[in-house]
Amino acid sequence: MKFTIFQETRRGARQYNQDRMCYSYSRDSLLMVVADGMGGHLHGEVAAQITVELMAELFQKKAKPTIQNPHQFIADGCMKCHDAIFNYAANHSLLETPRTTVVAAIIQDGMLYWAHVGDSRLYLIRNSQVAARTRDHSKVQQMVDMGRITAEEAERHPEKNKIYNCLGSMFPPEVEIGGKVPLVDGDTVLLCTDGLWGCVTQGELEQMMTGYPVLYALPQLLDRAEARGGIHGDNLTGVAINWHEEDDHATADSLSTKKLSDGEVTTRLNTLASDKALKENKEVTEADIEAAINEIQAAINKYSR
Amino acid sequence: MPPPSNFPLARGYQLLNYTIVKQLSAGGFSIVYLAHDDTDQPVAIKEYLPNALALRSEGERVMATSADNLALFRHGMKCFFEEGKTLAQIRHPNIVKVVNFFRANETVYMVMEYERGRTLQKEIQLTEGGVKENMILYVFAHLLNGLREVHLHKMLHLDIKPANIYIRRDGSPVLLDFGSAREALNQSALSKFTPMYTPGFASPEQYADREKLGPWSDIYSVGASIFACMSGLAPQAADQRAKEDKYQSVKKMWAGRYSASLLELVDWCLELDPLARPQSVRDVQKALVETASEPQPKPGKGLLAGLKGNLARLTRLGSSKGEQK
Repeated sequence: MKFTIFQETRRGARQYNQDRMCYSYSRDSLLMVVADGMGGHLHGEVAAQITVELMAELFQKKAKPTIQNPHQFIADGCMKCHDAIFNYAANHSLLETPRTTVVAAIIQDGMLYWAHVGDSRLYLIRNSQVAARTRDHSKVQQMVDMGRITAEEAERHPEKNKIYNCLGSMFPPEVEIGGKVPLVDGDTVLLCTDGLWGCVTQGELEQMMTGYPVLYALPQLLDRAEARGGIHGDNLTGVAINWHEEDDHATADSLSTKKLSDGEVTTRLNTLASDKALKENKEVTEADIEAAINEIQAAINKYSR
Repeated sequence: MPPPSNFPLARGYQLLNYTIVKQLSAGGFSIVYLAHDDTDQPVAIKEYLPNALALRSEGERVMATSADNLALFRHGMKCFFEEGKTLAQIRHPNIVKVVNFFRANETVYMVMEYERGRTLQKEIQLTEGGVKENMILYVFAHLLNGLREVHLHKMLHLDIKPANIYIRRDGSPVLLDFGSAREALNQSALSKFTPMYTPGFASPEQYADREKLGPWSDIYSVGASIFACMSGLAPQAADQRAKEDKYQSVKKMWAGRYSASLLELVDWCLELDPLARPQSVRDVQKALVETASEPQPKPGKGLLAGLKGNLARLTRLGSSKGEQK
C-alpha cells in the first residue's frame, strides 16, 4: 500500500477544539477517523477523543494485517464508542452524556470502505470531481432529500448544524455504511468536519484536492475555511490521502507500508489535555457539593432559631 | 469575545417550593429572582450561573460550556457555598438574611429574605443636589454595624456600592450581594472572568495588589459610596487615579454643604494608600459618631467647625497609627 497522508485540526474562532482525528495503518490496511464533539453539549471533546482512541485501539488489535470485514468493523466500532462514551459519563458523574459525530474509513486491498454518523463527511475525489460523498444525518439534508429546499438554500439554512444522529445520544446511533469502492492511482480521500466543508464550495474542494498533493492542499483549504469562518468560525478538521499505485516511484512524502512487518501498526493520535485536567481536578465532587449544602442548611437552622 | 448571556428562569417556574415571579437582576455570576414561597411570602433567590463557564440556552438545566470549564464551574460553586455559609452564620439587621440553600437544575440556589424599598443608587438618582447629611449618617452608621459583623467573620464584601445598599421603607439599610464568590473565583489562575469590581467604588488594591486586600478595601468603597451620595457620581476609578489622580478633596468641593468632619472622613477613606485609610470599620464609625454629635455647619461658624474637625482628625491619626503596629 502506498499513499500520502496528512491530517490537521484547527480551533477556528472557538475557545475550545472539540474536533478529533486520527489515522492508523498496518502493512495492508489503513484506518482514518474524524470526530466532531458536539459544541452545545458538555464534554464534546471527551466523546470525540474516546471515539478516535477506541477506533485506533480496535484497529491495532484487529488489523493483522487486514481487517476481516471492514464494514462490520467500523459499524461495531461505532457502537462500542457509543457505549464507551456512556460508561465514561457514568464513571465521571458527568452532568450529561457527551456526544460526537464520527466518520471513519478503511482502505485495504485497494478498496475504500467507510461509515459515518452525523454530519462529518467523507469525500472521494477522482478526476477533479467528487465521485462519492457521505450524506449528512442532518435536518437540512433531509429537507434537501425531500425536495423542500435546494442545496444552495441548505448552505444558508439557520439550522444547518442540527443533526439527528450521533454517538452518545439517548437514541442509539444508526451507522450508515458506504463503499466498497476500488481506488485508482491519483484518487484523493478526505474526511472532514463541518467546520471545513461548511466554509468551502464543492468546486473549491475538487479543485484544490485534485490539483495539489494533500500535504499542500489540505492546509490551504483549512486556511480558506478558517478565514471565511471569521469570528464565528467553528473548529475545523481534515484527514486526507492521495492514493498511489504500488509500483509508482517513491517520493519523499509518500508512505509505503511494504516495509512494515505483519503485526506492526503505526498510529497518529493526539491525546486529550483537557481530559487529563478533568481527571486530575477532582477537587469538587458530588459528595462535596452535598456536604456543603448540608452544612449551610445546618447553619441556617442553627442561627435562625 | 463577550460570553453569551444566560436565559433566566421563566415566570411561574416552580423551583422546589418557590414560584418564580420575575428576574430582579443579572450579573456575570448569578441571576437574582423575585419568587414566592409556599406561604406566598416574597423571597429573593440567587442562582449560581457564571456566564463565562456555564450556559442555559433553553429549558432549566445549566451546563458547563466545556470540560475545562466544568472543573472551574464547580470550583466557583464552592465559592458560592462559602458565601452562603458565611451569610447563614451572620444574623444582623443590616445584612441580607439567607433562609434556604439548595441544589437544582445542575446548579445551586440561595434563598434570601426579600426586602422592600429601593437601592441607595436609586435614592441618589431621585435626590437633587446630593443626599442630605442626616440620611448619609443614618444609613452608613447602620451599614457599618453590619459590615463590622462581616469583617468579624473574616470575610470581605469587596463590592460595596450604592447599587448594593438597599434602603428599606423605614430608612434602615441592608447590605446585599456578597462578592465573596467572585473574590475567590478571581484568585483561581484564570483571569478570563469579567472584572470583579465596579470602577469608581473598587479600591486600588482590587485592581493590582490583591494580597493587600483587607477591611480597608471595603472602607475605600464606603468612602466612594458616601462620595456618590454627595456628588451623584462615583469618584474617578482607582486604577486611573493611580496613573493620574484627578480626585478633588470633597472637603474643598462641598465645604459648607456637609459638615467638615464628614467630608474629611470621605477624603480619608478614599486615600490611595491602603495604610493611610481608616484601618477598621470601628475607626470609621468613631468618625461618624463624632460628626453626628457635632452641630451641623451654619454660615459663619465654618471656621470653628473646621478647627474642631482638624482636632478630631489629628486624634484619629494618632490612634490609627497605633493600631498599625
